[in-house]
Amino acid sequence: MKYRLSPFPHAMQRYLLSRLVQSLFLLIGVLILVFFMVRLTGDPARLMMPREASPADIAAFRTAMGLDRPLPVQFWEFMRGAMVGDFGNSLHYRAPAMQMVLERLPATLELAAAALTFALLVAVPLGIIGGSNPGSLWDFLARTVGLIGQTVPNFWLALLLLLFFAVNLGWFPTFGRDEAKSVVLPAVALGFFTMGQLVRLTRSAVLEIRGEDYIRTAYSKGLPTNIIYARHIFRNAAIPLVSIIGVQFGYLLSGSIYIETIFAWPGLGRMIAESVAARDYPLVQAVAFFTSAVVVLLNLLTDIAYAIIDPRIRYDQ
Amino acid sequence: MKFNLRVWLVALLLLTAVSLAACGSETAPTEPAVQATSPAAAPTTEPGVEAPPAEAAPAAPSGTLRVALPTFPNSLDVSSAAERNAQNAAWQLYDSLVWINEAGEMEPALAERWDVSDDGTQYTFYLRQDVTFHNGEPFNAQSVIFSWERGKRDDMQWSDRWARAVAMEAPDDFTVIMRTENPDPLFLGIMAQHWGMVPPGYIGEVGEDGFNNRPVGTGPFMFVEWLREDRIVYEANPNYWQTGYPLVQTLIFRPIPESSTRVAAIRTGEIDIVNRLSAEQAASLEGAAGVQVIRYPVDRVFYIAFNNLTSGIGQPTEDVLVRQAMNYAVDREAIIEALFDGAASLSTGFLTPGNLGYNTALDPYPYDPIKARDLLAEAGYPDGFEMDFACPAGAYTNFEQVCEAIQGFLSEVGIRTNLEIMESGRYWDLEAEKALPPLFGDSWSERSGEALPRLLGALGGWDASFSAWSDPVIDDYLERIGTTIDREARADLYSELHAYMYENPPFIYLYSPETFEAIRTDVRDYYPRAAEDYFLFQTRIDR
Repeated sequence: MKYRLSPFPHAMQRYLLSRLVQSLFLLIGVLILVFFMVRLTGDPARLMMPREASPADIAAFRTAMGLDRPLPVQFWEFMRGAMVGDFGNSLHYRAPAMQMVLERLPATLELAAAALTFALLVAVPLGIIGGSNPGSLWDFLARTVGLIGQTVPNFWLALLLLLFFAVNLGWFPTFGRDEAKSVVLPAVALGFFTMGQLVRLTRSAVLEIRGEDYIRTAYSKGLPTNIIYARHIFRNAAIPLVSIIGVQFGYLLSGSIYIETIFAWPGLGRMIAESVAARDYPLVQAVAFFTSAVVVLLNLLTDIAYAIIDPRIRYDQ
Repeated sequence: MKFNLRVWLVALLLLTAVSLAACGSETAPTEPAVQATSPAAAPTTEPGVEAPPAEAAPAAPSGTLRVALPTFPNSLDVSSAAERNAQNAAWQLYDSLVWINEAGEMEPALAERWDVSDDGTQYTFYLRQDVTFHNGEPFNAQSVIFSWERGKRDDMQWSDRWARAVAMEAPDDFTVIMRTENPDPLFLGIMAQHWGMVPPGYIGEVGEDGFNNRPVGTGPFMFVEWLREDRIVYEANPNYWQTGYPLVQTLIFRPIPESSTRVAAIRTGEIDIVNRLSAEQAASLEGAAGVQVIRYPVDRVFYIAFNNLTSGIGQPTEDVLVRQAMNYAVDREAIIEALFDGAASLSTGFLTPGNLGYNTALDPYPYDPIKARDLLAEAGYPDGFEMDFACPAGAYTNFEQVCEAIQGFLSEVGIRTNLEIMESGRYWDLEAEKALPPLFGDSWSERSGEALPRLLGALGGWDASFSAWSDPVIDDYLERIGTTIDREARADLYSELHAYMYENPPFIYLYSPETFEAIRTDVRDYYPRAAEDYFLFQTRIDR
């Protein structure tokens, strides 16, 4: 028996290392892209000054904030700072941009994770039951819920939940992140679309897998149903599920802008919208970078999850 | 076997649903007990009602007041707090040397009294001697000079407000002498609204970053914490120089950008004061348990501007008859009824009824399309003409629909406009470069009670960023107003200017909106002002 130091095969270790390097280059590319794109939106100095400010005052302000330095100089300073995690001070808030992002990241991650949990808790059982009993009421329910989930606009749903559960019933707070249950309404509103997608995906995956030959073989071998589900159906259905989850998390992070606004959830989403509108270059750069970093990291984790779930996938192509 | 598995999965689903509902129903927020007075009976409160005389209230400050803000304050330093809500939150921490009371009169604050020289350019302030900053540092003349030098730095957004004093000196610890370049009738008003005093020793010690994280002033409330975009927490200053104030122990600001959520929060009692509600939202709150609606006119004018500096050169709008015609052509009353439920008043000019020198003899331009056509024919355009028109998107409530309605009214008298509605950031960039079409919509508010700053801003020609019109007669008036110290004389000049601008309109005058706010019925002595300013040191909560 060959003795391995690590639980992963060597080929996969090489693969993961190359993915890591790829991710780093990707992040550097993001930094460069964001730097130039945000400066295309226009001049932040005038937006920050009062309306009656004269052109001379605005010019003085622009110089004082360092906004009129030549572009290569600004770019060099930015990249140099970014390498050590210093994204400069937000123009609008005059506080370190990276610190502001890190302060809010947990709230947004919490919301996205809660939304994903809600989506999974509803979609996976429903999808499995629906897919296992085609043509039944459960199947109809799964398909309908999937359709509703994907068509209802999340901000409309958010307001509806707010009015009904918070104002009329008083079960939840109307805004903020003060209590543990404050996350429920925003999570449901945010995760609703994802839930719809996952229901349809799970249902169709289960349906398809159940029709496969190897499932028929397993049944004919006399394996109990719960073992068939656990060992074969779940694991095979999980592959497309896991890949979608990686993508969905990115969607959840960006979709949180509406939900965070409506529920006054103190996360990144609202800050992204405001900083772009205010042309707060350092803050936009910091937020864009961190969001990309989270998505890249998630994709990396997704790939690792693949390896655990599916031993057929080879990395040494 | 199959049966077991399915039951297991269904059970999981039901368990999830039940647990979500269960964790929701524990400790549900209870509605506060309905007050004895029916809130529906007293839906409006007049602003400008004098606050009760400032007798020392014997009780210690008590209770927690929670205020919702529609935007996130960017800074709690009044020299860099960018807009109204940030300023409102910030000002609770500071005082200036003078204060404007509810009746619009100048009162002493950190200065006990002051003298003005005969030529109106030299002010001598005698400061209170018993004031300390929140960190214990004493307030004196050096604090004033330091605050001034800091406030007029180029990297401060409001530097031009501080720079109105060109020189300052302190003959002793509690006397400050300031000079302005010319006699400046607005000097004290601007000082009252923009000169928040800050502590030199503290800033020297912790730096600007430290001050941003933990601001210190002399004001009625002291900073406790600021979780950005979540809450700002203040507590009462026990050593406040106005004894007996403030009246609440804890003041909390919560940013809630979505107005429907603000409405929901005031209904459930999670918030005590909300502002920036629309007419429909206010109507939905009438009769709600524990809620009182407040409504007052805001000192803000909406207008369509003409251009005679760039894109408007050579255009028909250079002719005064055309501009008058366009004012007759628009049915403002219909717009106000349809889009604002009547919650706005018609503009007669760039002054609002609360401004100094408002000319009460002027009535708003009536809706008279026949007269508009006659004037156009007289000007040489019997068949009208074509013109480009622009309007910002998402900047002001319903303003896009207002502009579309105006487009409709103008086309009915033969003026065919090509309306472009564009994103507000880009719009203001173009406006500041004077690159917008010869007709464009915008709005201007004013805090000081006098229209001069916004007149200068909108009519200053090449000297002002957002101006597209220049008229030497108006310039002359503005210069005279800007240097006339005597209030009566100034009022007369304003009246004359108001009448002149009525006959020679540089704008299509539209409306001044009313704003709606809502408070819980146990909030007392809350007096918002026409500029959406409010001071919370005098506000109480009976809870």
